[in-house]
Amino acid sequence: MTESSLESKKNNKDWEPKIIAFLCNWCSYAGADLAGVSRIQYPPSIRVVRVPCSGRVNPYFIIKSLTDGWDGVIVSGCHPGDCHYISGNLVARRRFAILNELLEFFGIEPGRVNFMWASAAEGERFAVLIRKATEIVKKLGPNKKFEKKW
Amino acid sequence: MEYKILMKNDIVKLFNDLTNDYKFYAPTKEKGNIVFKEISNPEEIELNYLNSKIPPKDVLFPQKETIFEYRYEGKDVIIEDRKDLDDKILIFGVRPCDAYSFKLLEDFFAFGKVQDEIFLKKRKNSTIIGIGCNSPRHSCFCTSVGGHPFQKDSMDLFLVDLGEKYLVEAISEKGKNIIQKLSWLLDAKNEDLQKSQELAKKSEESITTKFNFDLVTKILGDNFEHPVWQKISESCIGCSSCTFLCPTCTCFDVIDENDEYNHRGRRIRIWDTCQSCLYTLETSGHNPRPDKIQRCRNRIMHKFSYYPSNYNCLGCVGCGRCIIACPVNNELRIIIDEIIEIEKKEESEKVNA
Amino acid sequence: MGIESQNNEIQNKIREIARDLLKEKKVDVIIGYKKGTLPLVSQPIIIDKEEDIDTLIWNNLCYVNLAKYLVPRVPKLIDPEKGNLKVGIVSKGCVGRALIHLASEKKINLNEITIIGIPCNGIINRQRIEMEIGEQEILEVSISGDNIIVKGEDFEKTFPFEEYMNELCKVCKIKSPPSISKFPNLCVGDYQEYSSLSTDFKDVTEFEAKNPEEKWEYIKDSLSVCTRCYACREACPMCYCNLCFVDQNKPIWFGKTTDISDIIVYHLIRAMHMAGRCVACGACSSVCPMGIDLYLINRKLEKIVKERFNFTSGLDPDILPPMVDFKMEDAEEFMLEED
Repeated sequence: MTESSLESKKNNKDWEPKIIAFLCNWCSYAGADLAGVSRIQYPPSIRVVRVPCSGRVNPYFIIKSLTDGWDGVIVSGCHPGDCHYISGNLVARRRFAILNELLEFFGIEPGRVNFMWASAAEGERFAVLIRKATEIVKKLGPNKKFEKKW
Repeated sequence: MEYKILMKNDIVKLFNDLTNDYKFYAPTKEKGNIVFKEISNPEEIELNYLNSKIPPKDVLFPQKETIFEYRYEGKDVIIEDRKDLDDKILIFGVRPCDAYSFKLLEDFFAFGKVQDEIFLKKRKNSTIIGIGCNSPRHSCFCTSVGGHPFQKDSMDLFLVDLGEKYLVEAISEKGKNIIQKLSWLLDAKNEDLQKSQELAKKSEESITTKFNFDLVTKILGDNFEHPVWQKISESCIGCSSCTFLCPTCTCFDVIDENDEYNHRGRRIRIWDTCQSCLYTLETSGHNPRPDKIQRCRNRIMHKFSYYPSNYNCLGCVGCGRCIIACPVNNELRIIIDEIIEIEKKEESEKVNA
Repeated sequence: MGIESQNNEIQNKIREIARDLLKEKKVDVIIGYKKGTLPLVSQPIIIDKEEDIDTLIWNNLCYVNLAKYLVPRVPKLIDPEKGNLKVGIVSKGCVGRALIHLASEKKINLNEITIIGIPCNGIINRQRIEMEIGEQEILEVSISGDNIIVKGEDFEKTFPFEEYMNELCKVCKIKSPPSISKFPNLCVGDYQEYSSLSTDFKDVTEFEAKNPEEKWEYIKDSLSVCTRCYACREACPMCYCNLCFVDQNKPIWFGKTTDISDIIVYHLIRAMHMAGRCVACGACSSVCPMGIDLYLINRKLEKIVKERFNFTSGLDPDILPPMVDFKMEDAEEFMLEED
């Protein structure tokens, strides 16, 4: 991202955050699909990446998204106990706990990187949580910290 | 030879007169370390220092350097070469060992058919203002590699620290031009010249670390597979501090960085180290230097055996940074002593035989 | 007992135990420390002859974590006829912890090592002393009473030892190696059983109370001089991956340049890989050629695993480290939830 595009983003009142969302195939992706089919409105700020399980999400994906310039990251999986692969989300939960604490320690604003559980039947819940995350990221402003500047 | 005097209080004046024509690099303190950086505020210039942590090769051959940039426009790829290679650079406060390292770097980057345009252009456009060493450290050994604490090779202007002032001597045409530009410099008196000669003599006598490198080169040539390398490399942890702080180390890695979202990218080069286990890893998976012993040996052979064969001079300037930096104290003096022991042991065996 | 006499006692004990071990052939080699040729360093050595025993020392400059010499990526101490050599390691608390943690990761065999435990009394913060002395050559460093005396050609400065210790040493609770009931013959010399350790992380909570901008500025400021030499990675006994994440090129995850974004990402991810594994030995900070002190990050890592999983690394080789385990009841207070 160049310096000038960042400035224009900040000053633009209609700036919409760009959030990358890693959704687990069996629960959250289906939940997002249900929200769409049920015509539940939620902000068009997320770009979805489908993964087989939230346990597939490598912390490198999250950090690389931040260095590439994404304003927010969401990782969503099945509720604990409901993982299609039995324990993938439990492994992921510990990973995210550590990553979250470290990101906060390094000074990344809490709320840029979010983790959530949403099952395939929870279309409404999915939309509510995306709405909430978009609000938080919008208030935080564009991601300036990790960006590689040339 | 014209000698001038520059008062230490006038460094700000020197900066102000030269900063419009040159990119001014000088030693400055960064988190407690002396490093060479581009100066915008002359108050930041650090005059009281022994030597910098990172050598001034960092100015002409930085840790990260763009080779070219490219961008996509429709179906075309447009390549943009560096545009800043013709800028004039001035590096102030370079010690004689580091100035000599510029000659070794030039030899390396101009060797053979492919000339490294980026480094050589910058070197051609740079002016070096050096300062003699009044108090060399105990780890310095420039006199053993053919140098001297008051050596003037590769410098354009040479300064001697006389306390409150510097004695200024022009070495090259570029240096003479600078003296002309700084017309307010005072003329030097005979006693200034005398003091400078006394300081040179005192400085040379204070150097305690001395080696006979001709002997070392000879021994290294015959003892590639000697068991002494096992002992030398035992405590090394492969941290690469020695190669990162060495003024003559030139190895680099080339990486392409892509910024897909903005349809552009760049090819950069970054410092690499022969002490890394991945340094010689080939795409086939074969690694000619898989163990620490071979990598430790490579660094010593490169500086004191291959360089003399290829360039007819030693690949070391005697700055002593590797001695200070090594965290396990596996320092050069100990290694050279071990190598010379090989010869001594052979001699005593011959005598006893 | 003054620090000097403590050091003398520790040193004599090390030599006595090492001599016995070599004489009775309980070990083939001893890994310990030797006096350095420069004032603020010490040299790790590997000895196998009794006559070299008297070169073993203990002074407060033994900052290298000797467990590094036994990890996978380092050449194994093997004899062509005998096979794996039995090793005796001079261990302060953190070195013992590192060895036990490596055993829990199945990277070393505790049957092949003997831990020569010593009651470490702290390591001098050499980076801080060098920075405060500035651009004058240090010629001699010694301990007298409770002070560090630093001498140069025309100066002599005194530093109180308690204040100029490594930051991690100041709050260290595991000064001698932990003993393990399953391996009763593992440790000789000084060792202790550690059951419950206090959870005082005041220094970390103080930093965490700052707002994100202040934290970012502080971290950015202290890491900005990093030259990406990876000395911290090479000195750490826990960094033994054959291909480190920064060196991966299929795909290239993160840059290797000295841009501030690349520097912070490297330290952030390396910290993440150290969660539950770091033994707070401080070697990473002591070997940094630019003098960066990573103690705050290391302390934060200890705090995370202690508070979330009640885990301290390097005390028991049979407990699964937190990052390879999971429980249904793990805390998830950080998750995004509906209001």
